[in-house]
Amino acid sequence: MTALRIGVLSFAHTHALGYLSALRAMPDVDVIGSDPDGVSTGTTRDELRGRELAETLGVEYADSYADLFAWGPDAVIVTSENARHRELVERAAAAGVHVLCEKPLATTWEDGLAIRNAVERAGVLLMVAFPVRFASAFTTLRATHDAGALGQLFSVRGANNGMLPLSRDWFTDPALSGGGALADHVVHIADLLEALTGSAPRTVTAVTNRVLHAGRAGGGASADPADGALPSAETGGLVTITYPDGLIAAIDCSWSMPDTSAVWGGLTLDVAGTGGTVSLDLFGPAAHGIATATGLPIELRYGADLDATMLRTFLQAVRTGVQPQPDVRVGLRTLSIVLAAQESARTGRTVAISE
Amino acid sequence: MPATPLRIGLVGAGGIAHAHMPGLLRLGPVVVFARDGAEDLAAAFAETALATGSSITVVDSLAALLDVVDVVDVVTPTFAHAEVVRAALDAGKDVISEKPLARTDADAADLVQRAREAGRALYPAQVVRWFPAYARLQEAVATGLLGDLAVLRFVRSGAFPIRTAWFADTELSGGIVMDQMIHDLDIARWIAGEVTTVSAIAVRSGTEAEPVAAAHVLLTHASGAISHVAGVWGPQHLAFTTEYSVTGTLGSLSHRSRDELDSVADLAVPEAVDGFLPQVDPAEDPYGLELADFVGAIAGTGPAPRVTAEDGAAAVRIANAALRSIASGQPEVLS
Repeated sequence: MTALRIGVLSFAHTHALGYLSALRAMPDVDVIGSDPDGVSTGTTRDELRGRELAETLGVEYADSYADLFAWGPDAVIVTSENARHRELVERAAAAGVHVLCEKPLATTWEDGLAIRNAVERAGVLLMVAFPVRFASAFTTLRATHDAGALGQLFSVRGANNGMLPLSRDWFTDPALSGGGALADHVVHIADLLEALTGSAPRTVTAVTNRVLHAGRAGGGASADPADGALPSAETGGLVTITYPDGLIAAIDCSWSMPDTSAVWGGLTLDVAGTGGTVSLDLFGPAAHGIATATGLPIELRYGADLDATMLRTFLQAVRTGVQPQPDVRVGLRTLSIVLAAQESARTGRTVAISE
Repeated sequence: MPATPLRIGLVGAGGIAHAHMPGLLRLGPVVVFARDGAEDLAAAFAETALATGSSITVVDSLAALLDVVDVVDVVTPTFAHAEVVRAALDAGKDVISEKPLARTDADAADLVQRAREAGRALYPAQVVRWFPAYARLQEAVATGLLGDLAVLRFVRSGAFPIRTAWFADTELSGGIVMDQMIHDLDIARWIAGEVTTVSAIAVRSGTEAEPVAAAHVLLTHASGAISHVAGVWGPQHLAFTTEYSVTGTLGSLSHRSRDELDSVADLAVPEAVDGFLPQVDPAEDPYGLELADFVGAIAGTGPAPRVTAEDGAAAVRIANAALRSIASGQPEVLS
């Protein structure tokens, strides 16, 4: 089998590290990264950018996107700041290269539509990087639902809580991230709802605040953490969604894991149907202990690597040319929920979604 | 039991009367009046009454009950609370009312005012404040362990109550929001402070014989905190479970009842599951603790209880705001 050539465009998103490492370990993949705008902010692995990060991970590096495209990749992974997805997807589409795009698809509806048009015009595949739907427990839930054992779904609760990303300032700079916790963490559970029901949401309501990490989540690199000003991005967010068939859903997307946490966060999903309930704690499998010196908890997670399963699905699609899920349509639908939630939080009104 | 215990009247003999009776019998002799089921209730607790040296007397009218008691515990269906509480206050009695204090904001406000004017006690039985996981949470917040509260989630899930028809009638019961979720709406307000906006979505599904319902309520608090309160009345096999997750600037606290059991059995013949009421430790029965606090305050032997009539009316206002939001499809601002 010919090795697939995969480029990783930008290391702005920390997920680039995982993708680079996973791809490097695959025998049938050649990977090159490029991060021309990246500037290391320190010496730890999470703080490295550009060539320094690529060398640390043992990955080939291209100094410019032009060099990377000149290499002739079969596909690229776009892991730039959220607001820069569009320009890189358009560039890949113009080069006839398939795309795995980090979530969220875009930060504005206009950019989302431009991404869809670009890949459709070019006839390239686009998959959105929603690794959670590849969890075996979620696959089992879908099978349970498809078999009718849950009956008619009527209520879903999801919580996707994490740390405020520390090593990348842009996450809290709405101009680059598209917002705060709403933009970062609503989409994973929105994708699970999509995978489970396939339904278009009807209305979205959201409330947000900036109580946690106040003074830290303050407008990216330019903000002074010491000034104690309110962060410009929301750090707490709660969202409710209605569906035409009566299903109701709620999402907690808050960055409510403290910096001191032993783990980054997690994702839970509680589904209720007329046939019963199923509860998922997708990062729950872990061995627990206590560190003697500090009394702090030790949590060693042992669940399967979801990124690897998602990447295998994408690479298989690149080899076969068959469109994988979640596709650009799912990317747009999950984006529509984020944008409606942001509007609701801003206006204090419930927002109707029309597709 | 005190030397001359207060004489307690219990009005109603439904599900919650059974939960209250053990605690009431420890506090004094109990006189019961109910449209239905009073004799069955008395028979079910005859042995308990004997063992505690107490007694249960069934009377055949509310007037007869009011003639012979000092304190009235109102455990009628929701829609009848206001009428019975009013009658008891008018008769000069101190009153305990099952939650919700009343079905409407106007009735709840009227009861608070009447009790104040009459100089009588009025305590809404918002018993979750006495459930240990919630009492610990309130202590943690009150002592500053969690810092400024940011994001709160509460979940209450069980089987749809079908044993009597009025629960399913939203006009009469207020549905899942007023009957079940009012507990967590009260807890959210208790620990995160006054509520400023309420938005809610709800669903009713299943069949006539086996209905299900759920609702999600979002609250913003004057403090800046935000809360999500979720309720499920699911299929009949569903066990009763509760959860919360509360995060503040200094720490977080979470509870999940099914992960915190002090006993887990795996038997060839499984034990019956109660989908209607939470499991309680009889050694510290929250209903008994609550009633002892109420009666102690009324008798003048104990401090003011952790819930007031005003708290009861506030919980009713939040629940009714949620019901209006469900109807209108838009958030409600609470003044």
